[in-house]
This record gives sequence, C-alpha cells and structure tokens, in this order.
Amino acid sequence: METDKILGLFKTVTSDAVIEIAVVITVSVAIIWLSQRVFPWIADRLHGKQRLFVLAMIPTLRVIVFVLAIIWIVPMVIETTVQNMVAILGAAGLAIGFAMKDYVSSLIAGIVAVYELPYRPGDWIEVDGTYGEVKHIGMRAVEMVTPDDTVVFVPHLKLWTELIHNANNGGPSLMCVTSFYLTADHDAHRVKQVLEDVALTSPYVQLKQPITVIISEEPWGTHYRLKAYPIDPRQQFQFMTDLTARGKACLRALPVRFANLSPEHAVHVNP
Amino acid sequence: MAEFKRPDAPASTKVQQLAQHFRNLFPKRDDAPSDEQEHDFPGYREFDLKPGADALDSAWDEWRKAGEPGIKFLISPPFSGTAAIAREWAERHNWRKITAPQESELADVDIDKWWKPQASSPWIIDDLSNYWRRGTDGLAFIRALLPKLFRGELGQGLVVCDSWSFAFLQRAWPVNMPNVYCFAAADEKLMQEVGIQADEKKLKSLAARAFGNLGLALALWAVEKDDEHDLPSMPSDCHDETAFVLYTLLLHTGLSGRTLQKVLPMIAADQLDVQLLQLQQAKLISYDDEVWRITVYGYLAVRDFLRSRGFFVDAF
Repeated sequence: METDKILGLFKTVTSDAVIEIAVVITVSVAIIWLSQRVFPWIADRLHGKQRLFVLAMIPTLRVIVFVLAIIWIVPMVIETTVQNMVAILGAAGLAIGFAMKDYVSSLIAGIVAVYELPYRPGDWIEVDGTYGEVKHIGMRAVEMVTPDDTVVFVPHLKLWTELIHNANNGGPSLMCVTSFYLTADHDAHRVKQVLEDVALTSPYVQLKQPITVIISEEPWGTHYRLKAYPIDPRQQFQFMTDLTARGKACLRALPVRFANLSPEHAVHVNP
Repeated sequence: MAEFKRPDAPASTKVQQLAQHFRNLFPKRDDAPSDEQEHDFPGYREFDLKPGADALDSAWDEWRKAGEPGIKFLISPPFSGTAAIAREWAERHNWRKITAPQESELADVDIDKWWKPQASSPWIIDDLSNYWRRGTDGLAFIRALLPKLFRGELGQGLVVCDSWSFAFLQRAWPVNMPNVYCFAAADEKLMQEVGIQADEKKLKSLAARAFGNLGLALALWAVEKDDEHDLPSMPSDCHDETAFVLYTLLLHTGLSGRTLQKVLPMIAADQLDVQLLQLQQAKLISYDDEVWRITVYGYLAVRDFLRSRGFFVDAF
C-alpha cells in the first residue's frame, strides 16, 4: 500500500520524456561547462571592474541554469501538487539530514554566496588564516589560489561559522600596507613625505585612490605604515615589493637608521 | 578648462569605437613584421598656427599688455599643436622661451640657480613635462617652482603643460590651479578650414574619434585616405611593463632610454629594450633624436589600452 502511495507521486515517464530530460541535463551541463571556460578566458583579457563583472557572472549563470533545469524536469517526473511536493521534500529532507548534512549545507551556502556575495571570483579573501584569490566558485566549495600558487578548496559551509575577510569586495580597489621600521630619533614629517612620494611615483599605484602614511611609536622605534592601492589587485605583491625596494633606497639617503629589534623584544621561537 | 566639451559622437562612430576597443582587448596574433618601407605611415601635415595664435591674442591681449606678474596655464592634449601655437604667439610678442632644467638641476632643486641666467619677463615655458620626473627625486623641483610661478615671483609668463602631465601634477600637487585654459574642441568647421574635405557626417565622426584634437584628426584623416595602412593596434602580448612604459612616455611627452630606465627601475634594462623594440615594431612609439615618443597614429590605441587597464588618463 505504501509503495503504491509513493509510486503515485510520480508520473508515468515515457521514452520521449526520458530523452527530453537527457537533452535538458546535457544542455545545462554544456552551458555551465562552457561558461566556466569562456568567461575566465574573456576575464583574463580584461582589467578592473570589467574583469570582476565577467568573473562574477559564472556562479550566477550556473545557479540560473540549474534552477531552470529543475523547473523544466520536475513537472515531467512528478505530479506537482502541494501534497506531493510536501511529501517528497519531507522524505528528501530526512535523508539529507542523516546522510549528507554537511554536503547539502555547503550546496545551500553556495547558493547563498551567489546573492549575498561574501566572495566573488577575482576577490582576495582570507578564510581560516589562508589568503588568496578566488579563482572559482563551485557548487560545494570555493577554489582559491594563494600567493605561493597553492590551490585551496574551502567548503561554502565555512560561510555559516567562519569570518570571511574580503580585501577588495568585488571592486578593483585593494589596499596594500607596507611597513618600514626606523629608530626613534629622526624627522618624522620628512620621512612621511618621502614615503608618500615613494607611493606616488610607483608605476603600480592607483592615482585615483588616496595615499596615506600612518606613524606609530613603539618601544623599539617608529613604525611607518604606507597605505596605497595598486591599479589591479593582482599587482599587490609586485606593488609592495616596489614600495619596499624604493622606500628603502630613499630612506638610506636620509639621516635615519633602520630599527633592529632589541634582545628584550625579540620573540624566541622554539624549534 | 572646465568648459571643455568633447564633440558628440554619432551612433555609428560609437559602434566603431566599441569595435576598436574589443580589437584592442583581443588582439590578433602578430604577423611576421614585413618590410620597414611598407609599414611607413603617411606623413601627416601640420596646420597653420596663425589662427590659433590670433585666438590667443584676442583672449589674452589685455592681460599681456597689462604686464603684471602672474601666469596662465595652457593645457595641451598630445599632438593637438597647442604648444606650437603658444610658441608662435610668444615669438610674435617677443616673449622669451625658458630652457628646461637639466637632470642635475632637477635634483638640486635650486630654482634661483636655474632661473637667474635666463631671468626675463615676459616668458614662456613651452612644455612643463620637462620640469619634473616621476621619481622620488624628480618632484621637488616642480613643487618648489609652481608656488613661485603662481605668486608671480618670476614675472609674467605662459606655461604650456601636456594634458597627461597636468593630470598627474594635479594629483602630486593638489591645489586648485587658477587661470588654466585650453582650446575648444575642434569642430567640423575648423576641420574644413585646415583642409579636411569630407561631408558633414564624416567630419563629425572624425572630430568625435579624435576627441576634438585637431592634430589627431589630421593624422586619422591621413590614414583614412591611405588604402595601404590601418591605425596601429596593441601587440598581443602586452604586460604591466608595456603599460608602464607607455604611460611614462605620455607623462613626459617622450624620454630618452636612459631616463626611462631611471624612472622605471623595476624593469630590467634588457626587458625595457624588449618592450621598446616591440612597441616600435607595432608603430606605437618612435625613436627620434635619442628620445622615445608615442606616435600620433598609435595614440588612440595607447590611450584606450591604458584606460581599460585603469590608469589615470588625461581629461581630454
């Protein structure tokens, strides 16, 4: 009797319907596969906002195709009455709750990520102490590449529990902070001006964004933090390298000395 | 300068510009370079400077005759001929042309030492981009010079500044500069006056493509009339370094290889040579009198390339 009830939820699937379902699934997979190759290819040739916009279209398009495919297929297989849907969703929910809780949670978080946008392809994010560029947002996990070219897969599940640090938040502006450490006895205004000019004359700098120098006095000397934005977030490490190299060269020409950590402030690391 | 307005582009021109933008984004693989002669572009004719100088006369005659200390800025988009017009105007009234400081004088930041041997009033600085370098030791001179100019300490003068240089200087010395002027955008009538014979729609399209820049319009017209050549486009393998070289050359209206290396120390010397040769082969830059410059024919492609990469472009 129970078997009859369950079978009653489903329609009689004809061979034509099977072919149609197969075609819908094939086309959907083809569109998603193609978008995951064509859009990154286009994005590689773009810069700034245009690049990020094209990259952000990949997960959005996938969700749209996925939802359309479901809407197309489900009425072909199931008698779509409220009663039937409640019964099927209830049964599915029970199975998922026991067997694949984390997996489904990641899938749902993946859908949430598409409209809530905690990260998008092209963003520079930090999750659980790992920093890198979001290369791909999959159904279950986000794929990021660290500056050392290591691919890290982070399940969307982290979205519920972890802090997601996004350095550029979907835009081309990513602040870089470069530190300089000097002994305390020097003309701070002169050093500040020199460091501002170091950033201003870097070819990597985004001139539309502000350049600031923050000074803080520490027991061992003075800590300068030069804050500026590169033209493209992908240039952040070359930008900081350029600022450090030219900043050091300019500071060496001034009557200042670089700070060395005194023994009492040194951190002892046990092997 | 705030009143400057670019000519409106007809819809067909906007589509052409969009197509050109996509061609720049997705360049074709480079073909093997053919004979040098075959790639030579038609020489583009310079235009008569007298009407421009007359326009300056009518605008500034009162100020000039008053002879009071103070300056006026004239912003010159690349290849617009503005600097040449200003020089013609200055010669007409016997204004002395000031010599730009040498590299050592830029580093010394001794304005008086540079100024005294040529001190006279009135005067003209015909290219302010030679008065600074984009380096940590290349900004102090102009930062010391500009306040003196604005206070009138060096007498009456006219300062011609390239539009790219001006955009950067406004960022480096963020003061709302007074008395800044530029020529109005060239329209169809002006183009006919300098000898471009075409129907009105064509002239309007040309004016829009050239951003109202008369010199650029003449160059575009010369290429359009020449069946053998198209405008140069960006090479397929452009990197950050390519953009840095092009942007630096625009900022300084051309630089020698040695100075370019000094301004861009992060590019290794051999890599810089590769970039320069590649851009020269693509006809985007030229090498004359030991100075690398953007070519007039390559300017549109270079500007579009830099803008699409998010660089700080000029206001024209």
